[in-house]
Amino acid sequence: MKILVLNCGSSSVKYQLIDMDEELALAKGKLERIGMSASVMTHKPHDRPQTVISGEILDHIQAIDFIISMLLSPNHGVIKDKNEISAVGHRVVHGGERFTGSILVTKEVMGQLKELIPLAPLHNPHNIRGIQAASQTLKDVPQVAVFDTAFHHRMPPHAYIYGIPYVLYRKYSIRRYGFHGTSHYYVSAKAAQTLGKPIEDLKIITAHLGNGASMAAINGGVSVDTSMGYTPLEGLLMGTRSGDCDPAIILQVMAMEELSLHEANTLLNKHSGLIGISGVSADVREILEASAEGHANAKLAMDIYCYRIKKYIGAYTAAMNGLDAIVFTGGVGENAVSVRRQSCQELDYLGIKIDEEKNENHKGGISVISAADSKVSVVVVPTNEELVIARETEQIVGKKEKVS
Amino acid sequence: MDIQRVYIVGAGVMGTGIAETIASTGTEVVLIDKNTDLAEAGVKHIDENMAREIERWGLTESEKKAALSRIMPSGDLSQIGEAEMVIEAIPDRLNLKRGIFGDMDKLAPPEAILVTNTSTLSISEIASATHRPEKVIGMHFLNPVPKVQIVEIVRGLRTSDETYKTIREFAQSINKRPILVNEYPGYVTTRIIVPFLNEAMHVLMEGISTAEDIDTAMKLGFGFNVGPLALADMMGLDEVMSWMENLISELSEHKYNPCPLLRKMVRAGRLGVKTGEGFFKYDADGNRIRSAVEGGKIS
Repeated sequence: MKILVLNCGSSSVKYQLIDMDEELALAKGKLERIGMSASVMTHKPHDRPQTVISGEILDHIQAIDFIISMLLSPNHGVIKDKNEISAVGHRVVHGGERFTGSILVTKEVMGQLKELIPLAPLHNPHNIRGIQAASQTLKDVPQVAVFDTAFHHRMPPHAYIYGIPYVLYRKYSIRRYGFHGTSHYYVSAKAAQTLGKPIEDLKIITAHLGNGASMAAINGGVSVDTSMGYTPLEGLLMGTRSGDCDPAIILQVMAMEELSLHEANTLLNKHSGLIGISGVSADVREILEASAEGHANAKLAMDIYCYRIKKYIGAYTAAMNGLDAIVFTGGVGENAVSVRRQSCQELDYLGIKIDEEKNENHKGGISVISAADSKVSVVVVPTNEELVIARETEQIVGKKEKVS
Repeated sequence: MDIQRVYIVGAGVMGTGIAETIASTGTEVVLIDKNTDLAEAGVKHIDENMAREIERWGLTESEKKAALSRIMPSGDLSQIGEAEMVIEAIPDRLNLKRGIFGDMDKLAPPEAILVTNTSTLSISEIASATHRPEKVIGMHFLNPVPKVQIVEIVRGLRTSDETYKTIREFAQSINKRPILVNEYPGYVTTRIIVPFLNEAMHVLMEGISTAEDIDTAMKLGFGFNVGPLALADMMGLDEVMSWMENLISELSEHKYNPCPLLRKMVRAGRLGVKTGEGFFKYDADGNRIRSAVEGGKIS
């Protein structure tokens, strides 16, 4: 079975065509600048070099048409007929409280998805447009929605209710939802597999450190708490986002600097975090370089970044009454040796000890980087959200076929 | 109709504000003025304006870069030969507007929509300078365009439903809430705000209170973001006076008669933020200079 995985943003579509028999990505790519004069597509078949094409792509329907014609093309393609695509799996950022797992998209589901737009106004509308476009282009091919929030749906209320009037939860569903669920799920399962233990018996903390960053406490395979909240702004320090912050600060700054809602929002989401503190960059690699050259605020930014991770390790160990493994993933988690080192430093009280040599020698793939006598295993796992979306899609389409 | 590129005629305060707004939402803009230098100065003005917004944390460097890359300055009106939509933003005087609409009508394709940004003039009268009055419509943007969330869409007597529908959708696509207005002098915004400002000037002139206290009373008393006198300074006192003169010539009502203090200040060239002094004083960046007596910022 071949499954097309789509991640539709406002002006971009990322895609992978995955052959589920071998779990092999036959082709992957990205279409950017949709709706602008020069759209750019990068396409990489698994067995041939990457190609870059530019052209005019006016909307998501044209984008998906274009992706499919690429997949069919004699030179760059990987399939011969459109019918080879058995299903489409879509990443949808917010599933709200209604969608606690992946779901086959029907007319009714589309209606419910539209009702969730106020919860994720920046992402869900584009995800929905992608589903509409794909169902137009690939008529009769089943479409499955896989939600970023779904893995966190079993969090207990004491972890997801905020200390603000309860009526706001009832009225607007304001609560912690958490994000990156697909990634937290995948890397925790992979880590358990690597350690050769059933996930039901493990207490795991996962740290997805990329452009956005979040951590999750996973007890017996269930996410019981996570650092992102109602929006992806809460929790860890990120490239351009503040993470945890006294909410009174923003009210006070808005008054003192006469900021509008929009300005306050961009201040927290785009001008804060690593770039806001260091003034150097939002990119961890560049900040580490600056820090090594003696840039004081670059060092401070990284210290804060790692300190937050460490605090969450402590908090989640307490929340689960113990800890068996820490998992690092995402661009930073997989590549930044010093972030892994510094976040786990002086945690010997909790039984966490990194093997410095293993940490430094990690070069891609899955590695256990904790010392032999460390009570807690520390594992680096490259994430693969697309594969999870494809597996979920296969499972749901399989069920549907059995029924009909 | 999804408009891919918008042509703006006039690279002054309003034209550049409109260009910045449209380019920031992902659509390309050709910004046209009498010559390339003026058009390029317009782009420079947008650059500076966006830089100020970055300092206020409202924007990022990469968003600014992306928006600026979509704005092409030009000194050649014949470029509108490929336009789907042209927005005129030249000074608000009827003879000038009618002149440019005659030219635009000759140069633009027959199916193109011609938009005028006017705050008081008659759309029907501007449209009568063209052979396509059904494709002429008003979009009254307010200054500063990138920050004000509304735009008045003004239908002339002969504006078609199709033109109105296209422009309403366009307004939404650039994140402005459209306010539908049937042509009548002053529309909604100018008609209501102008007597308000004028009355504040009368209160000042009659010695009832100070400029600072009049503004504070209206801000804190009624929840306005800006007081009436500071707002008049921002709009330009000469502009305020010309709107009043347009209103009085159309409607002949005493309430639109400019306050003598306003006339005096305009004659003396104290026009508000743009000249550094109106009811209050301003530095070169347009920031209010507050005297020690005022006791700093009120918020």
